[in-house]
Amino acid sequence: MDEDDLLEPDRSTAQDRRAELSLGALVFAVLALLLAMFAFVLHEGWPSFAHNGLGWFGGGGSVDQQIQAIFTSGDLKTTPVYTFHAWPLIWGTILITAGAVVIAFVSSLFVAVFLVEFSPEWLRRMLDPVVRLLASVPSIVYGLAGVLVIVPLIGNHLITETEKASVTPAIQLSGASVLAAVLILTVMIAPIMIAVFADGLRAVPRGWLEGSLALGINPWRTFWKVGVRTARPALIAGTVLATARALGEAIMLSLVSGGVPFAPNPADGFPIFLFEPTQTLAATIIRNGDQLDSPPMKHTLYAIAAVLLFSAAMLSLIGWAAKQPMRRYGVVA
Amino acid sequence: MELRKPPPVRRLTGYEVPSSPPSNGNGLHAAAGFRLPARLGAPSMVAIDRMQVEELSVSYGHKPAVQSVSLPIRQGEVLALIGPSGCGKTTLLRSLNRLTELTRGASLRGRITLDDVDVAHMDATALRRRVTMVFQQPNPFPMSVFDNVAYVLREQASRRPRRAAVQGAVHEALARAGLLDEMAGSLDHPALRLSGGQQQRLCIARALAANPQVLLLDEPCSALDPVSTRLIEELIAKLREDVAVVIVTHNLQQAYRVADYVAFMYLGELVEYGSAHKMFGSPREQRTKEYIGGAFG
Ligand SMILES: Nc1ncnc2c1ncn2[C@@H]1O[C@H](COP(=O)(O)OP(=O)(O)OP(=O)(O)O)[C@@H](O)[C@H]1O
Ligand SMILES: [Mg+2]
Repeated sequence: MDEDDLLEPDRSTAQDRRAELSLGALVFAVLALLLAMFAFVLHEGWPSFAHNGLGWFGGGGSVDQQIQAIFTSGDLKTTPVYTFHAWPLIWGTILITAGAVVIAFVSSLFVAVFLVEFSPEWLRRMLDPVVRLLASVPSIVYGLAGVLVIVPLIGNHLITETEKASVTPAIQLSGASVLAAVLILTVMIAPIMIAVFADGLRAVPRGWLEGSLALGINPWRTFWKVGVRTARPALIAGTVLATARALGEAIMLSLVSGGVPFAPNPADGFPIFLFEPTQTLAATIIRNGDQLDSPPMKHTLYAIAAVLLFSAAMLSLIGWAAKQPMRRYGVVA
Repeated sequence: MELRKPPPVRRLTGYEVPSSPPSNGNGLHAAAGFRLPARLGAPSMVAIDRMQVEELSVSYGHKPAVQSVSLPIRQGEVLALIGPSGCGKTTLLRSLNRLTELTRGASLRGRITLDDVDVAHMDATALRRRVTMVFQQPNPFPMSVFDNVAYVLREQASRRPRRAAVQGAVHEALARAGLLDEMAGSLDHPALRLSGGQQQRLCIARALAANPQVLLLDEPCSALDPVSTRLIEELIAKLREDVAVVIVTHNLQQAYRVADYVAFMYLGELVEYGSAHKMFGSPREQRTKEYIGGAFG
């Protein structure tokens, strides 16, 4: 054995050590940056929260008028106004995001299962790139398609005159609505889910599936009980990713949901309340983003951003927690 | 499961347990000091033709893996498939319950029947329910030990049974595979954290719980210690009466211990098929002699 051979292990451990250190430093830097961002956003938004207390999350008054008052109070250098009740925005965000995520999840799961396990080879080869392409289409394209096609379609054909009349004093039904937003958001996030789900399902070891088939369990049940079960971490990851995108989607949603900070009221009846317009939290930031020079307005918008940031963090945390019980049985996809 | 028609029954006559070590392939007698393994259990007196393989050829793409193999599989007689690595044993086994269909590019010619019905005309799931396979690589599901065995019971039931309802059957299957005592009290242990040998026995237990008519075992003892191996061999000897067992093994002494019939494959061809006694005592073919040659000396 010559000297080189003897030296080799030492050199590689030193390299390992160095790689470890630099990776550790990188992770630390990212974490620090994240924390700083959190602190900054929360700090900037604090005056709005401090002034309104829990009422910030509640309802009351018109969000449009409140925003108007907040903005002008900054402009006139008078005592700043902070009164803000974000419930219509929160409710609109929840409705649209939850609706789209639920619909997209169910349909994406079926499409992914079909793609991976049951579709003929030629169809799979055709659909795979299509899904990936759809996942990367900029959301504004979906927004335009929504405004030009879906919104008029809903406005002219789905909503009846009596339905329009039934809510007339409160709100106008033009077609830009929760329904349009949910539909387009679903189309936007489903390809992401399908791509991630399909990758997860493909990574399920063949031996497990064959083991189940060899016991005489039919292919659908096998794929459901062994395949989908094993791919659950990927299902969670895909859902978290898609939900985060849905939460942050602003421009497209402000186009198709009507841009009216109205809280769709389920008491108006089942199909009707889905035809009502609303506005999401992210869309509110975009719509008023040019008013940051008014300090109270700036604090209010940062408060909205803090809520979004907090939701996204919670989402990741829930996703992480949901994966933990599976780890025990060796499911790590 | 009901049989479509009574299967032909064949009585074994003139079957005898060799009392002295058979001469090995090179015509030399086994070394005097070597103790020939005892055969397990008395030979079964009733053998029922269960499956027939007729002129079966399987190829992956253009590469043939099994070439015109014909042999019977009988309940009451254990069949051992032996042969060097890559000779097509696993492929033959997989084609018996149509698992070859799951391999892209695999094509199959010839005919396989189960109780005189061509398996190609049967529903694949129904076929695999009757012809169950234990794989060469242990493949327990990523669930608890209990759920691994209960899985097949739950899926076979029309309504999902409660844990208590399947508990007895799960324990029995684990006990027969020799895993229950080891696992006592920790049936909720993740199956993937078991040792290789424990996983192998868990897979056998799973297959037993499925209650098949034909059991295909692909090297079921490759990771087992002598005690567990002995237990599995005794299990096979017991099962033989009720289930047609096919076992692939690289251990010729094991083949001798458990099998009533032996098929020797080489490069995809079935070189020789005969009773264990004859195959190990006085094989016809030169290639068989050479392969078996080293086994008992
Ligand atoms: N999925 C596959 N695709 C292509 N070729 C395959 C595939 N599986 C097996 N083969 C080929 O078919 C031949 C037979 O393989 P098989 O697995 O049946 O051998 P075996 O007798 O079980 O070997 P071993 O004792 O090593 O398990 C081999 O030459 C192998 O390369
Ligand atoms: Mg093999």
